[in-house]
Amino acid sequence: MFSSKKPTMNSHERPMCVQGDSGLVLTTDPKPRLRWTVELHDRFVDAVTQLGGPDKATPKTIMRVMGVKGLTLYHLKSHLQKFRLGKQPHKELNDHSAKNAALELQRNSASSSAIMGRNMNDRNMHMNDAFRMQMEVHRRLHEQLEVQKHLQMRIEAHGKYMQSILERACQTLAAESLVSGGYKGQASRGVPDMGAVKEMGSAVSFPSLQDLHLYGGDQLEMQHQMERPLDGLFPTDDSIMSKKRSNPYHSNGKGPLIWVDNLRLQELGSTAACIVSQEEPPSKSEQLQISSSAIDTGIDADSIANVYEAKPILSMDSSGEKKYDGGASKLVDRPSPRRDPLPMAMMNPMMTAGAMPQARNLSYG
Amino acid sequence: MEVAMEEAVAPSGCSSTTTTMDDDFICAWNDWNPAVDWGSFSSVADDFHELIESMMCPDAVDSPDGLMSVSQTPSYNSSPSSMATSADTPAEEDARAGGGHDGDDKGLRLVHLLVAAAEALAGPHKSPELARVILVRLKELVSQAGAGAGVGGTSIERLTLHFTDALQGLLDGGTSAHCGGRNSFRDGHLHHHTSDVLTAFQLLQDMSPYIKFGHFTANQAILEETRGDRRIHIIDYDIAEGVQWASLLQALVSRPGGSQPPHLRITAVTRGGSRAMRETGRLLAAFAASVGQPFSFSQCRLDADEQFRPAGVKVVKGETLVMNCVLHPTMNNTRSGSASSVASFLLGAVELGAKVVTLVEEEEQEQYEEKGFVRRFMGELHRYSAVWDSLEAGFPMQGKARGMVERVILAPRIAGAVGRAYRDSKEEETDGGWGKWMAVMGFGRVTISCFNHCQAKLLLGLFNDGYRVEEDGSNNLVLGWKSRRLLAASVWKPPLSPPPPCPPSPIRVGIVTPDGLTNSFEDSDFVSD
Repeated sequence: MFSSKKPTMNSHERPMCVQGDSGLVLTTDPKPRLRWTVELHDRFVDAVTQLGGPDKATPKTIMRVMGVKGLTLYHLKSHLQKFRLGKQPHKELNDHSAKNAALELQRNSASSSAIMGRNMNDRNMHMNDAFRMQMEVHRRLHEQLEVQKHLQMRIEAHGKYMQSILERACQTLAAESLVSGGYKGQASRGVPDMGAVKEMGSAVSFPSLQDLHLYGGDQLEMQHQMERPLDGLFPTDDSIMSKKRSNPYHSNGKGPLIWVDNLRLQELGSTAACIVSQEEPPSKSEQLQISSSAIDTGIDADSIANVYEAKPILSMDSSGEKKYDGGASKLVDRPSPRRDPLPMAMMNPMMTAGAMPQARNLSYG
Repeated sequence: MEVAMEEAVAPSGCSSTTTTMDDDFICAWNDWNPAVDWGSFSSVADDFHELIESMMCPDAVDSPDGLMSVSQTPSYNSSPSSMATSADTPAEEDARAGGGHDGDDKGLRLVHLLVAAAEALAGPHKSPELARVILVRLKELVSQAGAGAGVGGTSIERLTLHFTDALQGLLDGGTSAHCGGRNSFRDGHLHHHTSDVLTAFQLLQDMSPYIKFGHFTANQAILEETRGDRRIHIIDYDIAEGVQWASLLQALVSRPGGSQPPHLRITAVTRGGSRAMRETGRLLAAFAASVGQPFSFSQCRLDADEQFRPAGVKVVKGETLVMNCVLHPTMNNTRSGSASSVASFLLGAVELGAKVVTLVEEEEQEQYEEKGFVRRFMGELHRYSAVWDSLEAGFPMQGKARGMVERVILAPRIAGAVGRAYRDSKEEETDGGWGKWMAVMGFGRVTISCFNHCQAKLLLGLFNDGYRVEEDGSNNLVLGWKSRRLLAASVWKPPLSPPPPCPPSPIRVGIVTPDGLTNSFEDSDFVSD
């Protein structure tokens, strides 16, 4: 694939050679590296644009369009990758709000193009370039949102299907338990809690799902907590566990789990923003607001609520709801603030795909 | 200096993934040594001491400094080592000297014990009796901590518990008749009730990207490769509950272009019982109907010897054929097919003329040159400790949820993996990863798109920061936890010519030497499409 090169050494620290006709600058390493000169990069950008953006362009098509001899898929692949991803460091993902990240992205690109500019005498060229880079940043952000939108739909589909499996399993379970209770001993051997739940659960449709719900709730709490320590507001599962198996969740023989993706999602959707502003330190709430305003791609809280509302909701039926309430009221040793963070806490990964993480994800270039 | 951007610059964003990691953790693993620090177990009751004596095998007694003093001095505190028959003294001393912090200490000791047990079970100096003793001791140690219940204890204790059980299973399976009790419970997923498995599986999905990563990456590749095709036919090697396909169905419907969605047919490869498969088909069909995606479902049975017969698949002219092979056990399929079965399936792609083959497999990070059971055992220990770590880091307060996932989903996998390592080490059958094998067999690489890469990054962004995604080769996306690579999703194109120069016998998998594999792997690296 590499055509012959003339081994002309130049003054660079690494042995370089210039490839005659196409003017490519390559190192003489066994794996020749390519210097992406401004001209070359411009041709690259043109080719990408011509091909309908970095998303559509592939190394192969770019190679064809650029038509630069000596340029290989290998070079193009990694350059395209970098081009697509932008240059912001990874940690921004979490540390900055979307807005900050966007600004930083622009600053980064501006500075990198400034470097390019320094190498050229033509000031117009420089401006041009900076502008182009900025456009790229915008486009990249847009594409990111596109990917995000798709990802979200996929996660939802995934969750919906899981739900249907669970429903079906529970139907089968109910049927089985009518026929015989034989499985119970077996199943509960390793999983006492669940066994207990089942023990009493044949009449109810989804005992074990009920269990899950609590996990979900705690999960969010946890996530919540990671971002903003709730300093011992709630007993942790672990501490409860190590004390004894009689954790408050199980006082009534069933785990007060809330099925994460359908418990009060509407509530979550509509209240997420205000909850955040109540509970989160200023920077956080700012972040969320920014994200929701910045993102107009239909993944806002309302649409999430709709999506979740629309799907078959197992435990939103009255029995499920009641059960949860009952469970919650039994948690005597739980501080009352428990209820407040709950909706926010609902943000398990599934949910997080929606509102909250947007702020994080957005900053991904 | 007219350098604008230089290739030599470390790639930004996605691909600069490795370095930052939890140093403590890594160190702990590096410190591994099969040597057992028996001194640290001196709190052990005397009956244990006697037990050891009674079970000691003769060759251990011969060792110079160890057992003699053990049996002579009541406090075998003083000369703790030499229990592990292959222990080398200097390393032991290192281990002992290095044990400064009490917190990590126990974990390290447990790991040492586990490895010692593995060595006793299958190492050069086999001694089932010794293995049994060590396992008894391990169980004591972890059950003291309450890990026996599966919820208490530190995560290393719970991990140890499951590996101990896995070894115990091997020991019992290999030496005597099946002994009941706990063991039979552990023996496989059969013993967990379906709803538990589903619940735990759902939890695992919510807690980690492990399942979705493989599914979404493969699906996106399929979407891209079938863009514009009117009829798509996917042959799925291990469809299980069909969880992978919901998101694809959805994506097909919402494919840009607005045209009518293509027809999708899925053929599930089955082994025996087809009732569960019909159920999966019904669920998928119902889901497809709910999103408005034309869909049909069929099955194709493996031979009695688990071989895939391409002739068994109905292929309609004009449809685009896709082969999907997810070898990462998802829900309760711990059985993952034998090497020859997988090989027959992948080679079937050549015969059937599939357009694209998607592969998801567990990543082998180290090359275990020795191929010994102990090395592979350590590899699995390392792998699952990373999984454990990832779950704990993401969900520190969810001890109970994690406990359930570990018990119901991961424990059977551990048992399966340890069992495989044991059998494989006996049969000298090895695969250095199916990806490499496919490269050797002439499969072409299909580049992972930016969309796909970006999707994976976004997906991981929903979880803990410790997850990494990196590209390893143009067609291979690897999911890792910190520095440990766990899962690889790769995309391939079958060779056009009827493939292998040598007959595609499954035994081939075992014959290819590691050298041969790596060489051809590197050669083909540049040929990439």
